[in-house]
Amino acid sequence: MDDMKIGVYVCNCGTNIAKVVDCDAVAEAASALPGVAVARSYKYMCSNPGQEMIVSDIAEQGLDRIVVAACSPRMHEPTFRKALQQAGVNPYYVEMANIREQCSWVHDDAPAATDKAKALMRAAVLRVARHDALERRSVDMDPATLVIGGGIAGMTAALDLADAGSQVYLVEQSDHLGGNVARVDLTAPYLDSARDMLTERLTRVVEHPRISVVLEGEVEEVAGFVGNFTARIVGRDEERRPVETTVGVGNVIVATGYKEFDARRITHYGYGKLPNVITSFELEKMLRAGRVETKEGKPPQYVAIIHCVGSRNPEFNSYCSRVCCMTALKYAHEIKSAVQGVYVSDIYVDMHAFGKGHEDFYRRTSEVKTLFLMYDKGDSPVVRRADPGDDCGMLIEVNEKLSGETIEIPADLVVLMVGMEARDDSERVAHLVNISRDKDGWFIESHPKLDPVATTTDGVFIAGACQAPKDIPDSVAQARAAAGRILARISRGRLEIDAMYAEVDEDKCSGCRVCNDLCPYVAIEFDEEKKKSHVISALCKSCGACVAACPSSAITALHFTDAQIFAEIEGVLL
Amino acid sequence: MTFEPKIVGFLCNWCSYTGADLAGTSRIHYAPNVRIIRVMCSARIDPTFVLKALHDGADGVLICGCHPGDCHYSEGNYKMMRRYPLLKRLLADYGIEDARVRLEWVSASEGQRFADIVNDMTERVRELGPSPVQRDLISDAAER
Repeated sequence: MDDMKIGVYVCNCGTNIAKVVDCDAVAEAASALPGVAVARSYKYMCSNPGQEMIVSDIAEQGLDRIVVAACSPRMHEPTFRKALQQAGVNPYYVEMANIREQCSWVHDDAPAATDKAKALMRAAVLRVARHDALERRSVDMDPATLVIGGGIAGMTAALDLADAGSQVYLVEQSDHLGGNVARVDLTAPYLDSARDMLTERLTRVVEHPRISVVLEGEVEEVAGFVGNFTARIVGRDEERRPVETTVGVGNVIVATGYKEFDARRITHYGYGKLPNVITSFELEKMLRAGRVETKEGKPPQYVAIIHCVGSRNPEFNSYCSRVCCMTALKYAHEIKSAVQGVYVSDIYVDMHAFGKGHEDFYRRTSEVKTLFLMYDKGDSPVVRRADPGDDCGMLIEVNEKLSGETIEIPADLVVLMVGMEARDDSERVAHLVNISRDKDGWFIESHPKLDPVATTTDGVFIAGACQAPKDIPDSVAQARAAAGRILARISRGRLEIDAMYAEVDEDKCSGCRVCNDLCPYVAIEFDEEKKKSHVISALCKSCGACVAACPSSAITALHFTDAQIFAEIEGVLL
Repeated sequence: MTFEPKIVGFLCNWCSYTGADLAGTSRIHYAPNVRIIRVMCSARIDPTFVLKALHDGADGVLICGCHPGDCHYSEGNYKMMRRYPLLKRLLADYGIEDARVRLEWVSASEGQRFADIVNDMTERVRELGPSPVQRDLISDAAER
């Protein structure tokens, strides 16, 4: 270790790290360690000047190993590996110490956080000294893509991919394409017809020579890895018998969308009991048919729209469903066009008009005499049947927040703006393609800001409302981004994958075959002649199960060797 | 001065390490006693890692993996789960108290759960006091 020249860089992350961790002290502690030639503390290591600092130190001081004490390696390890590569050093000669997510963001006791940061830095220094130069492997990229979900996001992604020349398998669970957008009449805020928009997409998808649509389809299994997945799809033939096909794809886009909140769960709105309390999607159906009327077949005199049904409510879903406010304003507009002389009241919590054109739409709609009533999140209105003498079917009691008064308003039709929820099968889909879900069941993206399209499983992308509530433009943007990401990879033909895999030392292997059945990827083969096991590196995903199980210690996990982990243990306890 | 235990955490890359990162991005505060070592899968955790940590001065060892059924490598956590009782039996023979070594499942979305586990474990190990391994090592050295 003494003959090594290790550079240690302590990132302040602006003040994100430096406000709790004494970064200069961590750098100073680093400079005292054997083998450390340079130790610096700097404002932003991931910035261009930060990376250039590493590159020029390597050139000028002949550094051969680098430690960056900064954020999570899940965030910037690729960045620093690239910097090393640029400097002509093997990219695996870098190790990160996670002193932001694991120190400054979770501890407020500055001395304790600094001590811990030093310990993590020491572990990284000891570890990096034991790193080996590894060569990245490259695999063929199958140009075909599997798209799960035939809504607006799935269809858009499929079209972009297919237009660029790639084969797409588009699997839709229901018997038609279009998803939830197919249930909508006009779209906010420009009042364009959803049907017109969809028809264009639908016709092109169905007629496209490179898109195979599987309706009433299920993806039963996705095996393999980025570039070389195999997907087992079950569809139906003309006699509606199940037909199974297996296809090879390089990438997968999950665009499974959302389900609407079940309004029955909020009992004081009377949905399911009062016949004229309907959901937003039921109103869409009326609007599409061009007839807004009560169950009794009469045009309503009073319509009330209630916002945030199942959304922004800790009892149900704490998040905002993003589309309901504008949709409610659209309803106010559409109902007035459909029913002469109708009174519309809009009962809301806050008016979220965040998108392009939304604020103008809010202003325009509020000018056409809609009665706006604000209620408090924790104090939602109550709907009840009207008394026989009243000139309306129902009465809604609202504790109006702005006036501070309890107001009773008449209604013949109550529209509940039901929010978005993760689909019931989201857990199954997550397992299928090996991605994670957040506490609400939405799929988790690789990075919430910088990589909202990829997931933690390489080759699996997410698009549309399966990630979180989204409107049409955002879903389309994410779908096109996912398609773009995949096309960029396809155009290169081959894909570089991590250099980590397990290796068997045949001299040590006793041929016991314990590892053979342990491997979830069937990546270990037994050579009957030599009576030794060996790893097929292209299939190995480097989980290390075989390494820990080998009774002869004959298997090494590259980049996670026993020596490297032992060094880390020593380092954190120094 | 109260005794501050040193705990080594072995966390799988896909669920638990990401869960710990989430605790960070969510600014969930917890005790600073656990030092995390990342492994790709809990199945990679060789029982000798735990023994080495205890030998080198850890007062406790926390092992975290994906929830059963959620493993990135489909079943690695089950391998850890099967290995764990054997390890615990060995540790009991060595006189190492049960609460010092702990196996927990933490998903990528359970930042709060990770913080709660760290706090709880830190508290329990603090109550136990310094690891008997260190005491024994010192007395062994004195005898020699």
